[in-house]
Amino acid sequence: MSVKEQQNLQLIQELEIEMMADMYNRMTAACHKKCIPPVYNDSEIAKGEAVCIDRCVAKFLEIHERIGKKLGQLSMQDESLLKK
Amino acid sequence: MSVPLPPGAGLENIDSEQIKTFKDFLISYNKLTEMCFNDCVSDFTSRSIKHAEDKCALNCLEKFLKVNQRISQRFQEFQVLANENALASIKQTGS
Repeated sequence: MSVKEQQNLQLIQELEIEMMADMYNRMTAACHKKCIPPVYNDSEIAKGEAVCIDRCVAKFLEIHERIGKKLGQLSMQDESLLKK
Repeated sequence: MSVPLPPGAGLENIDSEQIKTFKDFLISYNKLTEMCFNDCVSDFTSRSIKHAEDKCALNCLEKFLKVNQRISQRFQEFQVLANENALASIKQTGS
């Protein structure tokens, strides 16, 4: 692999990690907002809140995956349309 | 509150990794302050922080940390699973 290729690969990997972190932060914010009501009588996570968080994380990641797949499909379609 | 310095704070030998960790810490500190302030303090008839407001803010902080920990656990579990699936599909197509 050439030096240029290696540099580009590293840039792409760094970008991937950065985007992963961004997704993670957005997920944290979203699930906190959706599952934890803004009343802080207690510092413990309530049972229902815990279940909500678990489901929220699972669903967020699944939606992330599905949207990624769909986006991939769509951009492939666009590319093949452009080639025609 | 004084700003905590990044770990191992000899100013000469801080690498970019530590700066980034420190930056992330400051960002979440600010977000946390904003969120807990908005959720806990809405009475401005008095200058001083009421006991209930103080307690609410501290509960908010503790709960926030616990929630983050839980989310991180679930995320890691998901990652391990996704990795295993990816490896399995590579093996299937490879052999």
